[in-house]
Amino acid sequence: MKILLAAAAIMSMPVIVHAQSVEDAIEARHGFYKMLSINMGTLAGMAKGEIEYDEAAASRAGANIEALVGYDLPSLFVEGSSMDDNMESAAKPEIWDNPDDFAAKFEDLRSAAAGASDAVMGGQENVGPVVQKLGAACKACHDEYRQPET
Amino acid sequence: MSRSDPASTPVQPVEVRLWDPLLRGFHWCLATLVVTNLFLGHFGPAVMTLHFWVGYGIIALLAFRLVWGFVGPAEARFSNFLRGPGAVTRYASHMFRREPSYWPGHNPMGALSVIAMLALLAAQVSTGLISDPEDYINVGPLAGEVASATSRKAVGWHHLGGTLILILVILHIGIVLFYRFWKREDLIMPMITGRKDVIRRG
Ligand code: HEC
Ligand code: HEM
Repeated sequence: MKILLAAAAIMSMPVIVHAQSVEDAIEARHGFYKMLSINMGTLAGMAKGEIEYDEAAASRAGANIEALVGYDLPSLFVEGSSMDDNMESAAKPEIWDNPDDFAAKFEDLRSAAAGASDAVMGGQENVGPVVQKLGAACKACHDEYRQPET
Repeated sequence: MSRSDPASTPVQPVEVRLWDPLLRGFHWCLATLVVTNLFLGHFGPAVMTLHFWVGYGIIALLAFRLVWGFVGPAEARFSNFLRGPGAVTRYASHMFRREPSYWPGHNPMGALSVIAMLALLAAQVSTGLISDPEDYINVGPLAGEVASATSRKAVGWHHLGGTLILILVILHIGIVLFYRFWKREDLIMPMITGRKDVIRRG
């Protein structure tokens, strides 16, 4: 009996580990997007004049975004973490049907972010174009792969 | 004022000036702007400035229609064309007869579709105004006035609304074609020239 229980426990372990890693992955990418958002919020606020332009702060936000997109985000979209598999996820299953296109969309964000920390320096009027370039990359991926809440 | 079933009366139809010029102008402007905004929503530039401005144009048109529904000519007034369930079912029961309705204005069923379209468009511009799609470029101008959970949900409602509007537009055109080819009654020219063959009773 004890042996059976032990065997059952061992056999169920990979499942538990897997479920744990799915939840971690979903939480991690939500945290990732939150960090992107905070820095985008700073830049968008400055572009609209809602936040006073501060060259150092703008450049720091740009640098944060550059650093963030250096992370291998697509690796967080592990098997079993789509919106169909997990309530916490808003990731459309199409991501797993078109992994190359999804990766390309993230690559587009990387290109948009390249040089952002420098591009936002030199005056408030330089922030808007950077925000538009970045925002367009966010939107392009969300349009295809993110399910809006209802 | 109570109208009985015009199709069952032997009276001859007469051509009258039915739709006033402002109503006709409203109709074609709204049609153009709504189709434009459906297109811009799905295929327009990533920075949706134009979509927003077309949306504001639609808000202005809806405001006009609301006012016109109370102070406009008889055919444009809500009180004149909104009828009870009895009138609707009576009209529906002979809708498929292969003859023109000669109805002088919005018939009881058409009235329902008018209200459905106007209400849906009003809902659509409202959800658009408060949407925050979290892309930091296309935030609705009133998104900051509501809770952030609401402005995120509004994006989903706005997408759903876009689909429903597309369905109503197709249904609307389909029914106009049904009148044209099944009932042999042209509803398109009256919306251009204002003149239509009708039978008025009472
Ligand atoms: C390569 C695709 C892709 C790009 C590029 C992208 N996103 Fe997302 N985003 C997603 C997906 C997919 C989700 C849903 C993830 C989930 O719920 O698991 C998401 C979710 C989010 C969320 C909600 C997170 C949460 O807590 O629910 C925010 C905020 C967000 N993205 C912001 C941004 C911003 C800002 C940018 C651009 C700077 C951006 N995203 C770029 C795909 C992308
Ligand atoms: C009747 C008028 C309108 C129609 C028919 C319409 C239609 C649409 C459609 C079809 C989309 C794309 C949705 C999708 O991808 O599935 C969209 C997106 C959007 N619309 Fe509208 N819209 C209207 C008015 C407005 C107004 C007035 C505003 C704000 C001022 C607005 C703001 C937005 C925003 C912010 C998005 C982007 C949502 C996203 O990125 O997912 N819309 N609209």
